[in-house]
Amino acid sequence: MKTLKLKQVIIAGVVGSQFGLPVFAADNAATGTNGAASVDIPAFAADGGSPAQEAEIKALKQQVEALVEKVDALEQHTPTAQAATISDLDQQVRILQRQREIDQETATAKAATAPKISLGANGFSFSSADTNFVLQLHAVLQFDSRTFFHDDNAKGVDGFLLRRARPILSGTVARDFEYNFTPDFGGSQVQIFDAYTIYHGAPYFQIEAGKFKPPVGLEALQADVNTSFNERSLATDLVPNRDLGLAFKGDVSGGVASYVVGLFNGASDYNSTVTNSYAQNNKSVDARLFFQPWKNSDVNGLRGFGFGVGGSYENDNPATNVTTSLTPGYTTDGQQKFFTYNKNVYADGVHWRLSPQSYYYYGPFGLLGEYAISDQRVSNDNIGGKKNVDVHNTAWDIAGSWLLTGEDASYNNGVTPRQNFDPRLNHWGAWQVVARYAELNVDNDVFSGYSINHNYSLANPTTSADGAQAWALGLNWYLNKNVRANLSFAHTTFSEAYGGNKYASGSVPAQSENVLFTRIQLAF
Amino acid sequence: MKTFLYSLLLAALAVSTNAAEIKLLNVSYDPTRELYADYNAAFAKFWKAKTGDDVNISQSHGGSGKQAQSVINGLEADVVTLALAYDIDAISTQARLLPADWQKRLPNDSTPYTSTIVFLVRKGNPKGIKDWDDVVKKGVSVVVANPKTSGGARWAYLAAYAYALEKNHRDDTAARDFITKLYKNVPVLDSGARGSTVTFAQRQIGDVLLAWENEAHLALKEFGADKYEIVTPSLSILAEPPVAVVDKNAKRHHTTEVAKEYLQYLYSDEGQEIAAKNFYRPRNETVTAKYAANFNQVKLVTIDQEFGGWTKAQQTHFADGGVFDQIYQQ
Repeated sequence: MKTLKLKQVIIAGVVGSQFGLPVFAADNAATGTNGAASVDIPAFAADGGSPAQEAEIKALKQQVEALVEKVDALEQHTPTAQAATISDLDQQVRILQRQREIDQETATAKAATAPKISLGANGFSFSSADTNFVLQLHAVLQFDSRTFFHDDNAKGVDGFLLRRARPILSGTVARDFEYNFTPDFGGSQVQIFDAYTIYHGAPYFQIEAGKFKPPVGLEALQADVNTSFNERSLATDLVPNRDLGLAFKGDVSGGVASYVVGLFNGASDYNSTVTNSYAQNNKSVDARLFFQPWKNSDVNGLRGFGFGVGGSYENDNPATNVTTSLTPGYTTDGQQKFFTYNKNVYADGVHWRLSPQSYYYYGPFGLLGEYAISDQRVSNDNIGGKKNVDVHNTAWDIAGSWLLTGEDASYNNGVTPRQNFDPRLNHWGAWQVVARYAELNVDNDVFSGYSINHNYSLANPTTSADGAQAWALGLNWYLNKNVRANLSFAHTTFSEAYGGNKYASGSVPAQSENVLFTRIQLAF
Repeated sequence: MKTFLYSLLLAALAVSTNAAEIKLLNVSYDPTRELYADYNAAFAKFWKAKTGDDVNISQSHGGSGKQAQSVINGLEADVVTLALAYDIDAISTQARLLPADWQKRLPNDSTPYTSTIVFLVRKGNPKGIKDWDDVVKKGVSVVVANPKTSGGARWAYLAAYAYALEKNHRDDTAARDFITKLYKNVPVLDSGARGSTVTFAQRQIGDVLLAWENEAHLALKEFGADKYEIVTPSLSILAEPPVAVVDKNAKRHHTTEVAKEYLQYLYSDEGQEIAAKNFYRPRNETVTAKYAANFNQVKLVTIDQEFGGWTKAQQTHFADGGVFDQIYQQ
C-alpha cells in the first residue's frame, strides 16, 4: 500500500500539475501483472483536446510510464523484495548446478555404455563399451626398389615394386575370440595372407584356426613390418611361410615358456598356401617351444634373451598331388631363384624340419639367429630308373642391429623413436644399422646322376646352386612409429657348381648377386 | 614317522574341510542401501551358523529400471531386490534369466515388505503442504526422480495419479491435467530416488520431496528432524518391492541354495524386524504391530486396483510415448 501510494503521488504530481486531475482517480487503478499501478488518461482529454494537447498528453503518458518503471525498480530494492529475489536466484542457481551434475552423471553413464572409437598410431579401433567386441583397421604398405649391380643385365630386374599392400582387419568378438583377416594386394597377385581366429581360453591355452604362420622359423614368425631387412634371410627358405591349420598354443608363467603345436596342410619350404583349399591327404604337425627364462626378472641384461626350437613333420603320399609339397625354389635376398627341382620331381615320403633358434635384445642392441634343417624324401620318374633321395638341406643366419639413437630394440614390438621426425624442431627420428650373414647348403645328392646327355638328377647343377652365402648391411630410419625408410645392400655368392660342372650363362648362380634395396614403409 | 603321517593326514583333512566362502551379488534399487547393509550382516551370521560357510554379499544400487537393464545387459546378479515387479519381469522376458512365474515362488507375490510414497518438507512446512492438491499449486517446487528410470518415481507418479482419479471421479483427462501441473513444478529430474533426496536435502532445492516412506525417515535421521518433517497425504499407493533369485546366474555361480535362503530369510522374524527398523512396512503382523508408531495411517490403493497391474501401467504411462512423455514435453 505504501509503495502504491508513492506511485500515485508521482503520477498525480506529474499529471495533476499539468491538468489538475483529481489524485484519488488512481485509487481504483487496477494492479498490473508486475504489481505496478496502470495509469489511465481520461478519455475526454484525448478526444476533446487540440492536436497540440494530444501530443503533450502523449508525451506526458510516456513520462508517466517511465516513472512507473523507475518506481518498480526502486521497489525491487526494498529488503523484503530483495530477500525474495535472492531466494529465487539462489534456487535457480542451485537447480542449474544440480541439473549440471545430473547431466554429467548421465553423460558418464552414457559414456560407459557407448561404443568407443579411437584413432592413433595403432590404427582405427571401434569397440563396444565393454570392449568385448572390437574391430580394428590396420594397414601395411611397403614400396620398394631393387637395383642389381654387376649382373650384365642378365638377371635381376631393377625397378620399383609394391612389396606389400595389406589392409588388415582384426579384433575380437564375444571377448575371447580374436580374429584377423589380411589380404595382400602387393606382388603379382591378390591373395589372402592371414585369415584366422584365436580362442583365448586362458593365457596358457588358446586355439588358433585358419590360415596363419606355422610355428617353425624365428625370422619367418617375425612380423613383416619388423624385420631388419627388406627380405628375410636364406634360412627362411627352408621353413614354411603360411599354411592352413589348427593349433593349440599358450604362454606359461607370463611368457617365460610358450608353446605352439598344430596340424596343418603342410606348406613346402618358403612357400605359402596360395589357394585356400588342399588336394592332399597328408597333414603336417608343426610345433615350437620357446623360452625366455628371465623375461619377468629384474635382470635387465637377460630379460630380452630367448631360445627355442621349431619343427615340423609330415609324410607326403605320392598317391596324391604331391608336387605342391616341393619348394618352388630357394631364393636370394634379391628374390631370384638359385635352386629349383627338375620338373619331374615330386615329394615321396617323410618331410621334417628342425630349427633351433635364439634372440637377444638389450637396449638398442639386437641379435637374432637360427639354424634350419629341411629333410625331405623326393623322387623322380626318369625312364632311366626311379631315383629316391632323402634330401637334407640346411641353412643358418645371424642378424644384428643397433639403434644409433638409443631406442630399445625388440623382436616384434617395432621401434618407437624417442623423437618423431620433425625438422622444424630439429628432431630426426630413430636410426638403426643392421647387418646379417646367412648360408644355405643344398644336399649334393639332388645333383647326382646328372650328365650332359642323361639327366637323372633331381636338380640341374648347371642352373641350380648347391649353396649360397649372403651378407647384408643396412640403415633403417624410423621417422615415427608408423613410417620407416630402409636402405640396404646385399651380396650373395654361390658355391662351385656340383661335380665340376659350370653354371650356365644367364643362370642366377652364374655370378654373384649384388643388390641395393630401398623401402618406404607405412604401417599402422 | 607314523605320527608325522597322521599329522599330515589331519592337516590335509583340515584343509579339505575348510569353510567355503560364497559370494553373492544383490542388485537392488536406490534407497535400500541401509536396509541391506543391516540385513546382509544378519544373514551372513545366520548362514554361518546354519552351514558353517561364509557368505560375502555384494550390493549394487541404482534406479530400479536402470538396475534391471544392467542385469539384462550382463550384470551377474544372483538375486535382484528391485522397486517394482515390472523390472524383474523385464529381466525374465528379455534375458530369460528366471521364469515368468517368479513372483509365485515366495509369499506375498515375492514382496517381503512394502512401502508407500510420502512428502518430505522443510521444517515448519513453509509452503503449507498437506496433500496432493498443495503439491500442484503454482510456485511450489517439487523434487522427484525420473519415472522412466526410477521405480520410486513411478510409484510417486502413480500415487499422484490415483489421488487425481479419485478426486475427479475417475476422470482421466482431469487426472492428466493434475499430473501435468505436478511435473511442471518439478525443476530437475534425478535418475533415482537417492539422487532426489540429495537434490532436496543436500542441494537444498525445492519445497517438497516425493519420497519413499523409508527414504523420508532416513532423511530425517541423516539430516536432522529439526530440518525436515514428513507429511503423509490423504491417499497414497501400496508400493510392493519384489525380490527374486536370478536362476541362471545363481546356477552358474553355484549359489542357488544360498540365494534362495537369502530371500526366504527376509520373511523371518529377524528379516522383518530389520525391514521395519529401516522403515519398510513388514508383512509379519506381529512385527507390524511392534513398529506401528513408525508408520502413519494412510489410505493405500494398489496398482492392480487402480491401474490394472504393472504391465498395463507401464505401457500406458511410462513406455516411450506414454502419458509421462506426453505431459512432460508440454
